[in-house]
Amino acid sequence: MEERHTCTDKSVLDMTNPKPKAESQSDEAEDPDGGWGWVLVGALFVSTSLVFGLMRSLGIFFVEFVQYFDESAHAISWISSTGLAAQQFFSPLGAALCNAYNARVVVMTGGLLAGLGLILASQATRLYHLYLTMGVISGLGWGLVFTPMVATVMAHFTRRRTLALGLAFSSIGLSSFAFNPLFQLLVEKYAWRGALLILGGLSLNIVPCGALIRPRRRSKAPAKVDSETGSSPVSVLRRISSYLELSLLSERPYVTYTLGITLLNVGYFVPYFHLVAHSRHAGFSEYQSAFVMSAAGASDILGRIVSGWFSDLGHFRLIHLLSAWTTLAGVFIMLLPLSSLSGSYSALMVISLLYGFCSGALTSVVFVVVPLIVGVERMMGALGLLQLIESGAGLLGTPLSGFLKDVTGNYVASFIVAGSFLILGTLTMATLPHYFSCTDPPPPPQRSSLDDKHNGLHSELEHMTSSPSSDTNHRV
Amino acid sequence: MKSLWAVALLLSCWRADASTAPKISADPPEVSNQTSALLTCNMTGSSLPSKGSYWTHNGQVLDDTKSSNTGLTMSLNLEKITHSTSGKYECVFMTEPEAKATIEVKTLPHVVAYKHSEHGNEKDKGVLVCVSHGYPLPTDWSWAKDGDSPMPIFNGTSEKYEIKSTPNKTTLTINDLNLKDDIGDYICSGTSEVGTTFDKIHLRVRSRLAALWPFLGIVAEVIILVTIIFIYEKRRKPDEITDGSAPLKSNSNANHKDKNVRQRNSN
Repeated sequence: MEERHTCTDKSVLDMTNPKPKAESQSDEAEDPDGGWGWVLVGALFVSTSLVFGLMRSLGIFFVEFVQYFDESAHAISWISSTGLAAQQFFSPLGAALCNAYNARVVVMTGGLLAGLGLILASQATRLYHLYLTMGVISGLGWGLVFTPMVATVMAHFTRRRTLALGLAFSSIGLSSFAFNPLFQLLVEKYAWRGALLILGGLSLNIVPCGALIRPRRRSKAPAKVDSETGSSPVSVLRRISSYLELSLLSERPYVTYTLGITLLNVGYFVPYFHLVAHSRHAGFSEYQSAFVMSAAGASDILGRIVSGWFSDLGHFRLIHLLSAWTTLAGVFIMLLPLSSLSGSYSALMVISLLYGFCSGALTSVVFVVVPLIVGVERMMGALGLLQLIESGAGLLGTPLSGFLKDVTGNYVASFIVAGSFLILGTLTMATLPHYFSCTDPPPPPQRSSLDDKHNGLHSELEHMTSSPSSDTNHRV
Repeated sequence: MKSLWAVALLLSCWRADASTAPKISADPPEVSNQTSALLTCNMTGSSLPSKGSYWTHNGQVLDDTKSSNTGLTMSLNLEKITHSTSGKYECVFMTEPEAKATIEVKTLPHVVAYKHSEHGNEKDKGVLVCVSHGYPLPTDWSWAKDGDSPMPIFNGTSEKYEIKSTPNKTTLTINDLNLKDDIGDYICSGTSEVGTTFDKIHLRVRSRLAALWPFLGIVAEVIILVTIIFIYEKRRKPDEITDGSAPLKSNSNANHKDKNVRQRNSN
């Protein structure tokens, strides 16, 4: 009863107190929604396309590698697996370095490494060179770029976070469309070595994106540096663990959320890998199957932007929206094989479009829920750890679906299992505290170990973290 | 009289029992370089019953030629003989034991380049491949460089050219590609007892440094962008840079906002 009352209160408040974007009303430390924040959204757009859009289009090179190095397609596919795994594995490292130093330096270094990896790869003479350069070095670079940039952009917004991320992540789909023919052209004209060299140069464009990050007031690092004097192993370890935000692993809300997202990731990628094969299996032509995939990709882009815009309207809590999109995506994944069983191409197309929209919609929201759980200050480390933990899911999901297909002979079981993993993820997220309330709970207070040393700074930090959440309460 | 008939009957029966394996005459015995043909098999010299007949092509049974006709003649009409329909055809009579004969259908070798346009890098190696289908497969392969007067390429004359050939595939490897000399068309020819066919491959040599110029251009663009961003920042907010060295106190802007926030919360 009380909760519903609060919800109605919220809508009344919204009508009587329109919130302009004036600076005096802003609750962010330095920048209000808008202004430089949108420049950073553009930077995130470019760097995300150069990280994930590039990763997704590397398939063009694989045909060349198979021919040149005379290796199996399986051995070549390990290159991109290594790259993706390295990006996710080094995410906490990137987050920790940002906490210790400065996001700008970290992202610029990451851009340099990503470019360097590809440039070195152009000189490769053996296959394992490619694993080391395109896999490890570039993967390390990508890891140092993605999480810090996402966290920085989220820190620059409160009201329009989801829209900002949705716009930036739409770059993944758009750049996959653009990069595939572009890479094909580069390989034709310059051979794979020349093309990799040029790609390395293109990846260096992440460096100016990182340069756009304004150095923020480092409220976190100085507190830690001053509180831990001396360089004894214990204090060094404690500093490292605080940079990595390892204490998050002991907090139930964060662990619950991470588990939910991990379960989501197990099933999330299955359609990307198997949709085309499944369509062919169902009897459609190559052209039709490829078109289904492209259509799903297009609705994915649309889903990201629309979901971003809709979430920021504030009608629903982000966690409820995330649950809704995830459940719908899971249901549509399960419907995919059933729709094509009837042999109707239009049914398959409709379900794929709906699936694409929902899966894009949920990606915009996934990251934005994190600061609502852990607070804006710890968001950087939280995102890093989330990336690392969810990476295991990807490793599990695709082989599992392949195994199910081999055992049962068609893709029905794989898709149904994948969809059920998404629904399982939603159920896990439903166990978050305050899930069924109308308003977001305040993020947990700062760690008490800092209280003794810096009362003044600490109370300032309290205001910083509590004000966004009080605003969130109004937003619901 | 009756005994004479009995002896004659016995003799004929004995002769029937001791009959040799059935003879099959195939017509024509061999088909070479024709566009169509009618293959016929006649079983003679045997009165063994035949349960039916069928044809096989290269060892595989042709299902639509299966017939339970117990006649002694079977025929197969090849309307269009191409490299895919050429090969060894067998007519099989389902007797005890089976009686069969082989007719060879030969065509010109079907020589096809794996890729009609190949690329190679300067100083690197270029690989040109031709494959062949049909029956019989070529016994000899040869390569030549096209031009006003085609120059044949022989294996082992220099380190530059290597030719590796099997009946159904031939590979020409050109080492140390030269931008000027090695660009052009190459002809691969396959020769079998029936005749010779060839195909052309166009080889393009890419300069080693071709990709370097776009790369340097992009690097220059990156450096310029970074410089512009840093200069712009220095010129727009000089006070923030000087305050940045004292992170605890931070800049005046943030302090203003802190005061605002504190006042609002106290209200």
